[in-house]
Amino acid sequence: MTSLLEGAKKLVTRSSDTGARVEGLERAAEAARGRVDDAVVDDAAAVAARASSRLKLSAEHTVVALGGATGSGKSSTFNALSGLELAAVGVRRPTTSWATAVVWGKQGAEELLEWLGIPARHQVTRDSMLSKADEDVEMRGVVLLDLPDHDSTEVSHHLEVERLVQLADMMVWVLDPQKYADAAIHDRFLKPLAGHKDVMLVVLNHIDTVPEDRRAGMVDDVRRLLEADGLGGVPVLPVSARHGWGIQELRSMIAKRVAEKKVTRSRLEADVRSAAHRLEAATGTGKVPTLSKERIAALDDAFADAAGVPTVVKAVADSTRMRANRATGWPVTAWFSRLKPDPLKRLHLDLGAVGKELTGTARTSVPQATGVQRARVDTEVRSLADQVGEGMAPAWASAVRAASVSRLPDLGDRLDRAVAATDLGATKIPAWAGLVRVLQYVLVLAAIVGAGWLALLALGSYARLPEPPTPEVGSFPLPTLLLLGGIGLGLLLALVCRWLVAMTARSRARAADKRLRDAISAVSAELVVQPIEAELASYAAVREGLAAALR
Amino acid sequence: MTHDDATADGAPDQRRHPDATTAMVTALVRLRGALQEAQLPLELPGADEQRAARTEMVDQLEDYVIPRLMTLEAPLLAVVGGSTGAGKSTLVNSLVGTRVTAPGVLRPTTRSPVLVHHPDDARWFGQDRLLPELERVDRQTNDPAALQLVPSPVMAPGLAVLDAPDIDSVEEQNRVLAAQLLAAADLWLFVTSAARYADQVPWDFLRKAADRSAAVAIVLDRTPPEAVDTITTHLARMLASRGLKDSPLFVVEEGQVSDMGLLPASSVMEIRQWLRALADDQEARQSVVQQTLDGAIRTLARRTHSVADAATEQVDAVRRLREDANEAYDRAVTAIGEASADGTLLRGEVLARWQEFVGTGELLRSLETRVGWIRDRVVNAVKGKPQQAERVTVAVESGLETLILEHAEAAAERAEASWRSTAAGQILLRDAGEDLGRASRDFRRRAERAVRDWQSDVLEMVRTEGAEKRSTARFLAFGVNGLSVALMVVVFAHTAGVTGAEAGIAGGSAILGQKLLEAVFGDQAVRSLAERARLRLEASIRDLLDAERRRYTDLLDTLEVSPETPERMRAAARKVDDLRFASARRASEAVAAPVQEPPRVSGREGDAP
Repeated sequence: MTSLLEGAKKLVTRSSDTGARVEGLERAAEAARGRVDDAVVDDAAAVAARASSRLKLSAEHTVVALGGATGSGKSSTFNALSGLELAAVGVRRPTTSWATAVVWGKQGAEELLEWLGIPARHQVTRDSMLSKADEDVEMRGVVLLDLPDHDSTEVSHHLEVERLVQLADMMVWVLDPQKYADAAIHDRFLKPLAGHKDVMLVVLNHIDTVPEDRRAGMVDDVRRLLEADGLGGVPVLPVSARHGWGIQELRSMIAKRVAEKKVTRSRLEADVRSAAHRLEAATGTGKVPTLSKERIAALDDAFADAAGVPTVVKAVADSTRMRANRATGWPVTAWFSRLKPDPLKRLHLDLGAVGKELTGTARTSVPQATGVQRARVDTEVRSLADQVGEGMAPAWASAVRAASVSRLPDLGDRLDRAVAATDLGATKIPAWAGLVRVLQYVLVLAAIVGAGWLALLALGSYARLPEPPTPEVGSFPLPTLLLLGGIGLGLLLALVCRWLVAMTARSRARAADKRLRDAISAVSAELVVQPIEAELASYAAVREGLAAALR
Repeated sequence: MTHDDATADGAPDQRRHPDATTAMVTALVRLRGALQEAQLPLELPGADEQRAARTEMVDQLEDYVIPRLMTLEAPLLAVVGGSTGAGKSTLVNSLVGTRVTAPGVLRPTTRSPVLVHHPDDARWFGQDRLLPELERVDRQTNDPAALQLVPSPVMAPGLAVLDAPDIDSVEEQNRVLAAQLLAAADLWLFVTSAARYADQVPWDFLRKAADRSAAVAIVLDRTPPEAVDTITTHLARMLASRGLKDSPLFVVEEGQVSDMGLLPASSVMEIRQWLRALADDQEARQSVVQQTLDGAIRTLARRTHSVADAATEQVDAVRRLREDANEAYDRAVTAIGEASADGTLLRGEVLARWQEFVGTGELLRSLETRVGWIRDRVVNAVKGKPQQAERVTVAVESGLETLILEHAEAAAERAEASWRSTAAGQILLRDAGEDLGRASRDFRRRAERAVRDWQSDVLEMVRTEGAEKRSTARFLAFGVNGLSVALMVVVFAHTAGVTGAEAGIAGGSAILGQKLLEAVFGDQAVRSLAERARLRLEASIRDLLDAERRRYTDLLDTLEVSPETPERMRAAARKVDDLRFASARRASEAVAAPVQEPPRVSGREGDAP
C-alpha cells in the first residue's frame, strides 16, 4: 500500500521541472558516493531528500520564517503580522525558546507542519478564529514561523534556527539598529544563503529608535552590507513593530510573493543549485573521457609480454616444425628427432585432452613475468588511467587510478589461465603431412623392396643361379629404380616438405599468437578496462545528474 | 623607567623583590621566544585553534604582560569593550565629558582605538610601552593600526580609559583588534545593552576574562527604565553562574543624548565615581593590576602546555610523513635492486641480444680450446659483433630504464597516497605546486642519463682492468665493449636467485659471461669488478630516487618544525610557574608576618640556600 502511495507521489514529483532537478541531484549524489569527499555527497543527498520530501507536501502553503537576533523584535513583528498576541514579547533575553507557527487556511497543512516539526501546541490557525476577512484572504496559504534567536547563549536555539532555515520556503530576516552589522547573522546565515536572494526579505525593525534624518542612511548601510554578502537586490524594509510602521507593506510583500506560488519551488531550486555547484566543484567539470584504442592496444601488448606470449608462440612454431618434420621427414633420420623434447610439452602447454581433464586448466610453466615486463604493464595501466583522468577533478582521477589497479593482483594467475586455456592449434600435425608420412613410408618400403630385390639378385648371382629376368622401366632395372627412387624421392620429399613445414609453422605461430592475444585482451578488458569503464559510467552519471539539476 | 620611579610610585611587592621581577621577565621573554618558534604549520585537527591561541599569547606577552611587569607603577588601563551598538563610544565621551571618539548609528562605528589619559601620565603610553605595534597619533583616524592618544585633565591621574572597537561586527579586523586590546587591559569595562546582554559572543569574552581572573566591570547600557529591574536581576544571575559574581555591575538607562553626543552626567555619575575612587586609592589600583597580571601570567603558563601538546603532535606528524615518504622510496630502491640482480633482467630482449652476441656454444668451446681467436675475428668481421655488443647495451639500458621509471612512479604514488590519507598531508600536497603523485617531469631523462653513465663507468672499469691485458687474445677478440657487456650480464645475475627452468637460461648466460671474463681477467678480478659495478649501479639508483624523495622531504624541511620546541615551551612555562609559586609563597609569608623590612629580608636570606 505504502509503496503504491509513494509511487504515486513520486509520479507527481517527477512530472514537475523542480522534481527533475531534484532527481538529477539525487542521481549525481548516488553516483558520486565513494569517489569524492563524503561530506559533499552527504550534503547533496540531504538537500535532494529534503527537497523531494517538501515537494510531496502541500503546494498550497508557503512556509515563511521570521529569523533574527535576540532582541531584534522577531516576536513583535510576528504578532504584528498575525494580528494576534501569540508570541511572548519581553525584555528578558532570549525571549523565544521554540518556534511558533500561525497558519492561514489550515486545510492540508497538517502534514507540512508535522514535517517542520512544529508541535500542535505551538500552532495557531488563523481562519479558525474570528477575524476580519480581508487580511486573511490576502495571507491565505501562509505558514508564518517565529524562530528562536540565533545569537544568544542558548545553543539549542541556534540549532533549531539552523534546522528551520533549511526547511522554510521563504525567509524574512529581522534586523535592528543595534545589531544589523553583527558577524553572527552575516557570516552564519546571510552569506551562506547568497544563492537564495529570491526567497528572502530583510526587515530593519525598531526604526523608531533611530533619529528620523538618519533612517535612510541606515537602510542604505544595511543594503551595503547585504551586497557584501552577495545578497544585492534583496528588499530592505524599515519597520517598527511597536508602532505598526511598515507592517502593512511587509504583509503585502509577503502576500504578493506567496500568491505567485513560486516561492517554494524557487527556494528548492536555489537549494538544489547550490548543492549541485558544490558537488560539481568536487567532481570537476571535464566532459566524460573515452578510452583510446591505441592505449588499449599498448596495454594488451604489455600484458601479452608479461604473459610470455612470445615464448609460447616460439614454442608453437618450434613444436609444429618438429612434429611435422618428424612426420614428413625421411623416416630413417626423422626417428632421431624423437630424442629431442617437445618445446610445448616443456612449457606444460600440450598435455592433450586427457591431461586437461585431469587438471582442469593446468598451470603452465611459462616463465613468470619479469620485473621489466611487470613494470611495463604497470606503466601502461598508469598511462591509460592518466589519459582517462585528465580533466577530471583530482578525487575522480584517483578513483579511476584506484579502479585501474584494483584487480591487478590477480594478473599473474589470470594471464596464466588465459594462456593455458587457449587452444594453440599445434597438437595435430596437418593433414597433408599425414599423407606425406604415408607416402614416405611407401617410398621407404619401395626402397626396401628394391634393396631386397637387388640383394636377392646379388645372392642369386653369387650362388651362380640363373639370373631371373628383371623388369625394366624405360632402360632402368626396376629394383634399382625402386631403391634409388625410394631413397631419392624420400629425401627430396623431405626437403620440399621442410620448406612447407616452415610455412605451416609460421602460419600456426601466427594463428596461435592471434588466439593468445585475443584471450589476453579479454583478460586485460576484465582486469583493467572494465573497472575503468565502470568509473567512467559513474562519472557520466554524475555529470548527467548535475546537468539535469543545473539546467 | 628608573629604579627611583619604582620606589616612589609603589608596587610594594615587587619593590621588595626586584630580582624576582627580573627573573619573571626573563622567564616570560623565554616563553615568548619558545611560543614564537612553534609555528604549528601542519593542518592537524585542532591546530587552527592552537595556532590562534599561540598568536594570542604572543600578542598578550608583547602587548601587555612583559611591558606591564616592567612598569608596574604605570597608570591602570581600563579598556572599554563590548558589542557594536552597545554604546561604548558614547559612554567614553560621557565619562570624559567631551567628544573624544565618534559615536554613530551606522555599524560598526569605532574602527581605531582611542586612549584617554591624564596629561601627566603621557609618558606611560609612549610607543615602546603597552601595545607597541600600534602607532601613536594625536588626531582622529580610521586606521586600525593607530592608537589615538587624548590627554584630558578630566581623567584622574593613574587611570586611563581606552575605547576599543566592537567584538562582534562583520568587520573581522575590529574583532581581532578588540580581542588584542582586551588582552592588554588591567580592567575590563565591558559594555552591553538591554538588547544584547544574552548574546553569545560577549559571553565568550567574559568567560575568558573569568578564566584568567581579569578584573571586569560590566556596564549595562541603553536600558529602558521600565526594564531595569528584570534585566539586572537576570544579568546578575548570568554573571554569577559564569564565575563573575564579584564584578561590579553598572546600569545606564537609555536616555536622551545631548547635541554633543553625551549622556546626561547623572547617568554615568556612578561609573565616573567608581573609576575616580579606584584612581585615588593606590592600594586598590595596584591590587587590580596585580590580579589581572597574575591571572594573565597564570593562564599563559597553563595554555602553553596545550600549545606544546599541539607542537608535539606536529613533530610526530612531520616524522610520520617523513617516514611514509622514506618507506615508499626505500621500497622502490629495494625492488629495483632485486629485479636487477635476480637475473630476470636477463630474460627477453637482453637475453636474445646476449645470445646473438655470444653465438651458439662455439664461444664456450673456443674458450676451452684457447685457439679460437682467429676464427673469432673472422666471425666478428662477418657478423659484425661490435654492433651486437652495442645492441646488448641498448637492451640493458631500456630494461633498466623501464624498471627504474616504473618504480619511481609507483613510489611517488605510494608516498602521495599515504600523505593524502591525512589532512595535513593533503594540504602540503596541494601547496606543493607540482603533482607529487608522479615522478618528476625530467625523471625519464635523468634515469636515462644515469643508466648510460653507469654503462660508461663499467666500460671504464673494464678498460682500466684490461690495460695490461690488451694483448691477450680474448681481450682483443671481444674488445672493451664486449667485455663490459659480459660484466653487466654477470652483475644482473649477481644474486643468482634464479630458479627452475630459468637457471638454465639466465644462469647459463651469466656463467658464460663469467667464464669469458675469467678467461681474460682471472676470477678474483672478475669478482671484484662485478662487485664494484653492482655497487656503482645501486648507488646511482639510490641517487636518482633520493632526488625524487627530496621533493617530499624538502616540503617537510621548509616547515621548520623543530623537535625541541615543545620541550622548550614546557620548560619555559614550568619556570614561569615556579617563579609564580615562589612569589606567592613569599606573599603569604609576608601576610603572615607583616612586621618590618629587616626580618623579612633576613627571612629571604634564610630561604635562599
